[in-house]
Parts: sequence; C-alpha cells; structure tokens
Amino acid sequence: MNDTTLYRSLHAAYDQIATGSDGDLPPLAEVHPLDQDWIEEVNQKNQAQRIKLETELKTYTSNMIKESIRMAYRDLGEFYRETGDHAAALKHYTKSREFCTTSQHVLEMCLSVLELLIEHRNYAHMSTYVFKADAALDAASTARSGPASGPTAPANAAAASKDKAAAEREKVQSKLDVSIALSYLGQGTFEKAALAFLKVGPVKSVGDWVGTLTASGDVAIYTTLCALATFKREDIKSKILDDDNFGVYIEQEPYVRDLLESYMGNRFKLMLEILDRYSTRHALDLHLGNHIANITNMIRSRALVQYFQPFASIKLERMSTAFGWTVEELERQVVALIQAGEIQARVDRQNKILKAKETDQRSALFARAIKSGEMMRVANRKLLLRMRLQQADLIVKAQRGPGGGHAGDFLSDIYSM
Amino acid sequence: MSQAGSSASAAQAGQSSQAGDALTVDTLVAQAVGGVDTATISKLLRDTAPKDSRDSALISMLATGEDPLRVLDPVQHTLVYLHILCARLNAATPSRPGLDLIEAFCQSFSPEQARLAPQKVTALAKAIVRVAHDFGHDQFALSPLYHLVTRYPPSLACLTTIHPIFVARCVATKHYTLALPVLAVPITTIDLKLSDITYSDNLTYHYAGGVALGALKRWKEAEEFLEICVSSPAQVPAAIQLEASKKLVLIQLILYGKTVAPPRYTNAALQRLLKASPYGVFAKVYPQGKAQLTKSIQKDVDLFTNERHIGLIHQAIDRAPRWLIQKLTSTYLTLGLADIAKEVGLDGEEEVRSIILSMIESDEISATISSDGTVTFSDPVPQISKVDVDRMLRQAQEQTKLLWELDQTMNGNRDYLTKVRYLSVAVGDERRC
Repeated sequence: MNDTTLYRSLHAAYDQIATGSDGDLPPLAEVHPLDQDWIEEVNQKNQAQRIKLETELKTYTSNMIKESIRMAYRDLGEFYRETGDHAAALKHYTKSREFCTTSQHVLEMCLSVLELLIEHRNYAHMSTYVFKADAALDAASTARSGPASGPTAPANAAAASKDKAAAEREKVQSKLDVSIALSYLGQGTFEKAALAFLKVGPVKSVGDWVGTLTASGDVAIYTTLCALATFKREDIKSKILDDDNFGVYIEQEPYVRDLLESYMGNRFKLMLEILDRYSTRHALDLHLGNHIANITNMIRSRALVQYFQPFASIKLERMSTAFGWTVEELERQVVALIQAGEIQARVDRQNKILKAKETDQRSALFARAIKSGEMMRVANRKLLLRMRLQQADLIVKAQRGPGGGHAGDFLSDIYSM
Repeated sequence: MSQAGSSASAAQAGQSSQAGDALTVDTLVAQAVGGVDTATISKLLRDTAPKDSRDSALISMLATGEDPLRVLDPVQHTLVYLHILCARLNAATPSRPGLDLIEAFCQSFSPEQARLAPQKVTALAKAIVRVAHDFGHDQFALSPLYHLVTRYPPSLACLTTIHPIFVARCVATKHYTLALPVLAVPITTIDLKLSDITYSDNLTYHYAGGVALGALKRWKEAEEFLEICVSSPAQVPAAIQLEASKKLVLIQLILYGKTVAPPRYTNAALQRLLKASPYGVFAKVYPQGKAQLTKSIQKDVDLFTNERHIGLIHQAIDRAPRWLIQKLTSTYLTLGLADIAKEVGLDGEEEVRSIILSMIESDEISATISSDGTVTFSDPVPQISKVDVDRMLRQAQEQTKLLWELDQTMNGNRDYLTKVRYLSVAVGDERRC
C-alpha cells in the first residue's frame, strides 16, 4: 500500500483519541512518530509511477492496440487503488471494459471492480458487477471448453483441462457468491445474505480473497447471525448444521457453533450471553458493524416468540430468568413484540403475567361477515353512482384557460360566511 | 324600456310568422288560461328567439294593467308562471315579485309541468338565493329552496341543480339540520333530462353535504359524502376535490384514529397532492400524545386556520388519547390508571378515568375499573342475533335484485349492444379469414 493520505489520517485520528483519553493511551510521539521521509519518498515514487503509466497509456492509445490499452487502463486502476484514490481507480477499471476483447478479460475487470467495491463498502453497486461477471463467466467457460473438446485433443488431456476449467470456474463463482452475499448484508437484506453465503463453495475456492478481503471465519459469523435472525428452525438445521461444506467455515470460529447449538437447544440465556460476549468483535467488523444492533434485536425477538409459543400463559418472572433479564426489560421487549404483531398475547401488568389471546372464532367470523357485507353494500352504491356519473359524462375535465377555479368561487363563498 | 322591448320582439315574432303575435304576455296568459295544453306552450316558449327579447317580453304587465302572476294559477299554469317569474327575478325592474309569492309558488307548483323547463328551475333557484341575499337575509332562501328540491325531482335520489344550491345555502347560513332530510337520501340517479347538471354540481353537493354532516358531528355520513366527492370521476383533480380530501382525512382520524385508503378509482394526483400537504404529515404522526400532536402542528397552524380546518384538527387531537388507549387494550390485560396516563401522555389519573369511562359508555372498549385504580380490559364479544343476520340477508337480496335489474337494463342499452355487436362481428370476421 502506498497510500500516504491514509497514513496521515490514521496518524491524526490516533492523535486525537490519545489526547482525548487522558493518558490512557500513550501519546502519539511514543508510539510512532510521523515518518516524513517515508511520505515524501512514497509520494515521489507514486508521482513517477503515475507519469510512467499515463505516458504508456498515451502511447498505446495513439498506436490503437486494444489489448495494450486495456492493460494500461487496468494498471492505472490498480495504481490508483494502491494509492487510495477510489473514484479514479473505479473510473480506470470501468474504462478498460471498452477495450476487452474476450469474456475472460471482462471477468477480470469485474473481479477487480468488485474487490475495489468491497474494500470501500459500496454495497449498492456490487450486484451490477456480479451479474456482469456471471454472464462473462458463462461465456468464458463455454469458449474454453469448446476448443478443448475438439477432435485433435487426446481424450484424457481434454478431461484434465475440463476439470481444471471446472475448478477455475468454481473459484470465480465462489468469489462472486461472496460478493453478492456481502452486498445483501451491506444493504440489510439478511435472509438473502444468509442464503447467498451458504452458496459459497469450499474455503479454498475463495482463493486469494481469504485474508485480503474477507476471512473464512467472517463468512461463518455473517451466515450464522443472518440465519439466526431470519431463518426458521428447520431451515437452520437443514441448511446450516447439516451442511458439511459450511461446517468447515464454522470450525474457524468455534463460538459460532455454540451459538447455533444454544439456539437450537432453546438455551436462550446462554445464546444471548455469547452474543453479548462477542458484541465488540461484531461491532468492529467492517461489514457487520452497521447492522449488528439490528441483527441482535431480530435474534432476540425470534427467541422470545419461540419461547412463548407453547404457553397459554406464563409468569413474566419465569420468562425473565430464562432470558437473564429483569422483569421490566422483558416486559418492554414483549410489549414491543405484541405491538408489532409478532406475539399473539396480552400482558397482565398488575399480576405480571403474559397471556395468549383467545378469540371466539365463531363470533369473530360472524362479525367479519357482517362487516364485509356492509362494506360491499356501500361500495356497490358508490360504484353505481360513479357509473351513472360516467354515463352522463359528468367528469372533471381540464379547464380551458388559466386561473379561476370553478370550485374556488364556491369555497371562498363558504369561507367568507 | 319594457314597452320598447316588447314591441320590438313582437315585430320579430311577426316576421318569423311562427305563432303570430304569441310573444306578448297577454297572448301567453290568454293561451294558458284558455286551456291550451302545456306541450304546445312549452314549444312556443322554446322556439321563440332571441332569448333576451323573450325575457323582456315576459316581464311586462298585462294590457289591462293587471299583474300576470295574479291572473295565473301556479298549480295549473306552472310553466308560464315559472317563465314569467324567472324573467322578472332576473330583470332589473321594480316589478320584482316578493318572496312570499316565490314561496307560494315553490309550495304549490306542478312538478310535471316544471320538468318541461329544467333550465328555468335552475335559474329560479339561483335567483332565489340572490333575492334573499339582496334582502339581507340569506336564510329566507332556505324555505323556498327546500320546497323546490323536495318537490321538483320525482325522488330525492335524483341529483338536480337545486341540490347543491340548497345544501350550500344551508352550510353558509349554518342551518345544518335543515339539510338533513335531503342528505338522508343517497344519490343514485343521474338524469340529464331532468336537470341540466354539470360535474361541479355533483362535487359541490357532496362536498357541502359532507361539511354539513361534519358540523353536526355525524362523522360516518360525512365521511361517505366527502369520499364520493373525492372519488368522483376526474381527468384532472378539481380544487374542491382536494379540499374534500383534506376534510376526509381529518374526519377519518376522528372516526377511526387512522386514515383509510381511498377507493382505487380515485384520481392518483389527488393522493399525491394530499400526502405532500401538512394534512398528510399530520395524518402520519397521528395518533400520539396530545402534547406532541399540538407541537407537530405548530408551524402549520396558520395554514390550518386559513383553510378553516383548525377546528377539525383540534377535535382530532382531542380524540387522540382514545386511540392510544384502544391500542393498549390489545397489548395489556390489566393496567393501572397511572400507567395509562404515562403511556398516553395525559397528566392526571382523573382525566384518564373520565376518558375510559366515556369510552366504556360509548362501547369503544370493554373494560372495568376496580377501586384501586386497576383497569382490566376484556375482549368485546360481538353479539349477533338472528335478527341481525336476517336483516343482512334481506339487504343482500335487495342488492342482488338491484344489480340484476341493472344488468337487464344494461342488456337493453343501445351503446352496449352496438359495442357487443361490433365485437362479435369483428370476431366473426377473424374466424372467416
């Protein structure tokens, strides 16, 4: 990384926090004095590099060599990405698309853009490039398998290259899956995110993205949290716990398995404790940070709903011990859920009891039938009048000439009284 | 001036050689009294041109110096009487008839004859309003108009031009209850032959009706009238429709505590306009505690006051605690009065107690208050008797019959048949090809 601006802002940020923390943190000078020499050196290098790349681009453009122009644009894009100029990098990457001759190149471009977008958490744009890459991937793999299966190639060599192609394809596909899943997560559609994460292939297929853009442990955490917040119990079991491929991811972060198991075993108190214990880790996560509060709330509500399901009535006190909250806290949560329509029950505030709602289906049905009958009658009458009005062509039409509303006179007449 | 006018028109009539010198009041009255049938007279009056000279002919006195209105009988000679009356009311002469004469006419005229000249009836209604206004007493117009509106159409369910004039006068003079007998009959028939109505008559009638019913706090009916006004067919929304939809929103808040989506056929632009207005904003934050609501309307108070809706806004705000309490009933089984006061944003327990009592009395919630101030809510069990069910079934049968009849008339409708034949011919052609 040759990003001097980032270095400076990091420095400044630390300085600000250190001065504000009353000596809890060692002052900046002790930790890392600003390396002015390095900055200058890097800036000079960057400058030289940029001029070099731009001259190259100019030469290629004047020579009209498509492939070289593409590579020049790509190199410039990469250069800007290194130096932290996000907008310029994106511009050059996309510019290179015009000079792509094969779908392989398009694919390469899309992946670079996706890396860039993930780095900068630009979730809204990601899906566009994933779809573009998908199309390019299809085109590329058919193009590649085409000549390989030609009659001249020996049979086993063809099979070998086919395997290789398939492996290659799977790698790219996994990357695309990770991207689309991250974009769903970033935009707060957790259920889709969880499903997309589950589609990601084995760990090694993600290749060089592991460790640079995302970690396999992260995938496990994202998936689990999103799934807990949105999936049904049976789905969690069949799609997550019974999935061997995903099991490998879970191994990376053992606490995730505890979390899942405590949820499935209805030990909600333990589950909430685990969530709480790792809350700092979640909050500091690049992609998860913005949503963790929301996700935690959703998980909590689901747990409450599930806990109450089998009961006709339950003491709030008992429920609060199961969740490890105070009665007041629990009541607040439960009331919020009732008002959102998640729990069909009512709170007996005086005796601290939660009671399931009972409805007399028969009389409810009668009431509903009568109400809809009445509504239909009224609607019928109004519709008939409307029909008659239309038959008589009594329709409000645009006025000829500006100003002076026909209703205006009448209104002012009434108002003036 | 009247002398000159009449002689000129007489000369013209002579030239047109149609009905000889029929255009003097004398011949007209003579014919009417002489028992010539009304169809002939109606034709005579209609064919006479030009219109203004006819009117000036009609305002003159009889050759004998008698007042034609004294000679004619309002019941038997309604048509001629009506024409002369209108001409006189519109003319700037001192021969304008008094209100007692108009009143007597409105009470006794023959509807069958009057229906031959719908325009004259409209003109009469408008003239009545003007005359009463000139007298300085707007409410004088109400009684003749009431007779006119109830006697002229074959049934009150037929919309006429008098409907909006009458109801608007009632609203303007704040005599809301007078309009009730008319408003009680919903409009179901539109007949352009009966009365020369325009779309704005329909809009004005339902708007003014909504205002009158709203003023009487008959919210349910007011809602219906305003909804008809709002959802009337429109290519572009009329100003009065927007005004009506503002009132509609406020009345729905008072009535249901929330807004109800208008029928699908409502003009879409109207909804957009309303949503963007302060009324849409108010409906969005409703219901909340009184204090918050009052604060939220603070910056628009001037606008609400200018548009004369501040009263409805305050009524809606006054009812907000009730909706909040009603919401609590679906969440809680028991609550202390103090808790309710806190949740709803009211100050004293006593205030809460009185609101809850009045809500129980008006059947809005079913609850009991115990001596220690605990309110126990219970589910209201809807009581449906056999009588209710029978009544509903009967109504449904009536509906079906009405729709069946409508279907039959539709089958006989000329436009419909042409269209169907055209379509079937087109299909036939295709088959042949």
